[in-house]
Amino acid sequence: MRLRVSTDLVTGLLFLALGLFAIAYGWTYPLGTPARIGPGYFPLLIASGLALLGLVLVVRGLVAPGERIGAIAARPLVFVLAGTFLFGLLVERAGFILAAVLVVVLARLADRDFRPVEVAILAVVLVSFIGALFWLGLSLPLHPLPTW
Amino acid sequence: MDVLSNLGLGFAVALDPLNLLYGFLGVLLGTAIGVLPGLGPVATISILLPVTFTLQPQSAIIMLAGIYYGAAYGGSTTAILVNLPGESSSVVTTLDGYQMARQGKAGLALATAALSSFMAGTIATFIIAFAAPTVAEFALDFGPADYCSLMVFGLVAAVILAHGSVIKAIGMILTGILLGTMGIDVNSSLPRFTFGVPQFGDGIDFAVIAMGIFGIGETITNLARGAEAREYVKNYRGLWPSPHDLKAIVRPALRGTGLGAALGILPGGGPVLASFSAYALEKKIAAEPDRFGRGAIEGVAAPEAANNAASQTAFIPLLTLGLPASPVMALMIGALMMHGLYAGPQLIAQKPELFWGLVASMWIGNLMLVVLNLPLVGMWAKLLTVPYRLLYPSILLICCIGVYSIRNDALDVIVASVFGLVGYVMTRLQCEPAPLLLGFILGPLIEENLRRALLISHGSPSVFFTRPISLTFLILTAIVVAILVLPVIRSGRARVFAEETN
Repeated sequence: MRLRVSTDLVTGLLFLALGLFAIAYGWTYPLGTPARIGPGYFPLLIASGLALLGLVLVVRGLVAPGERIGAIAARPLVFVLAGTFLFGLLVERAGFILAAVLVVVLARLADRDFRPVEVAILAVVLVSFIGALFWLGLSLPLHPLPTW
Repeated sequence: MDVLSNLGLGFAVALDPLNLLYGFLGVLLGTAIGVLPGLGPVATISILLPVTFTLQPQSAIIMLAGIYYGAAYGGSTTAILVNLPGESSSVVTTLDGYQMARQGKAGLALATAALSSFMAGTIATFIIAFAAPTVAEFALDFGPADYCSLMVFGLVAAVILAHGSVIKAIGMILTGILLGTMGIDVNSSLPRFTFGVPQFGDGIDFAVIAMGIFGIGETITNLARGAEAREYVKNYRGLWPSPHDLKAIVRPALRGTGLGAALGILPGGGPVLASFSAYALEKKIAAEPDRFGRGAIEGVAAPEAANNAASQTAFIPLLTLGLPASPVMALMIGALMMHGLYAGPQLIAQKPELFWGLVASMWIGNLMLVVLNLPLVGMWAKLLTVPYRLLYPSILLICCIGVYSIRNDALDVIVASVFGLVGYVMTRLQCEPAPLLLGFILGPLIEENLRRALLISHGSPSVFFTRPISLTFLILTAIVVAILVLPVIRSGRARVFAEETN
């Protein structure tokens, strides 16, 4: 029999994993007494509940045929996240301009309809406008250029 | 009279030129994102949270509220002209609004939507002005145990109306609560789930999660879905309804307002449910139900009145109990917190200028919206021709800079990217992200109140059952749970949502 990978099953496994991880990671946090609950009490309560729900979903996913997971759109996922992730990595050292241009160009690469000239214009307009808005308008301390 | 003098104070605040400007910016932006499909108030408000940090608290709330109810207005324009809901609250408006437009009555449909919304907005403003102070006074007697039960009730009630699986929605709430425990515990100063990262000592900022899930994650979801074919009605002349039409609008709009105002107060209710219920009610009491779906004017008036009324009355539980009825309201709590203000019964007494200023600004904002939406409808229709491929790079860039600007920490942008991934995966797994946000906001409050309640009762959990207010909320929670579990009602719930999406 082939295992049917339903959304219930995957969600359940994720909930279960997160719940168990939180229980394990927070194992050393003091529970306190009933009258003075410690920092470990509430997270343990919630994490146990989450793990339990995860278990219910896993069982339901195995027993009842649920809805299958659709295809994952790899292209937008990878390019959009690469752009925002690189912005976080680069904004302080490579400067705001470079990081922001990367966000725009990578974002447009997420779409199959990539038009180089349009993307170039869009990048210039957006970066200068939004940069000016945050940098000058809201006086955010941004370094526009690389600071090696 | 007390309310009148307070309203006077409110209008003085709202008519302050600067607040008037921010209110106008809010409704303008709200209409724009309402018109544009794929960009909603939750994403927009998340993106703008860091920007409002530099404003006065009342200006910030006035602007953010303007975005919220402005979006409900703008959504109807797209629904009528393009047969696409610009906003989820205008899903039902597509049914009859687009049919009216195809019959050459686009102008009338737009005017009906705008006037019904204005009527609902005016009435809802008065409901808030009279009801909120009373509720707040009542809530002053709440003890920690009562708050705890109230918030549990709010979270459970929010689940009942989430689309899809109840278990998944509860799981998302618990995940949100767990995320909320990150950071240094205030009582023991023990760092919890910080993974040795010093920046996690304050926990993850609310705006980082919201922007990650609703800004970045939603963009990925929209891109994955691909471009939608848009064909829109360009002829929208004849904006002013005849006296005969006006007469046909008034009653459905009043019924919609009443229903919407009531549903808006309930946690998890909100504009979507309100508009749908109002449509269903009109269809039920109509003499010829067959007209619905073929351009019935009531089918536009009632749901548009209902969604606007609901989006305003949702502020009552927020400002009086600190209980967010929807993800947007959760964002409002976040916005208040950024200014060091806590939504709750003391807010009206402590910050009357904020509360009454907001109430007055709602009415002014509604007036602005009629002006913005009727004569300027051509401009909004033009906005619909802007392709998504030019829009989403700006959304992503504003998200990145916005997240960075919260505390000038590049790590926040990386965390937001991770939540973008989480947001996309959740959509694929058919989990609603909204309950996660509610859990994240309410989690720390529940823990704090639970701790206090048990401290007062010397560790006896019976305090939750012996205090009448707490007991009432727990009984209500039990009723909601029973409704969720009973199969008969569950199938009814599935039918309601199936009908909505068709």
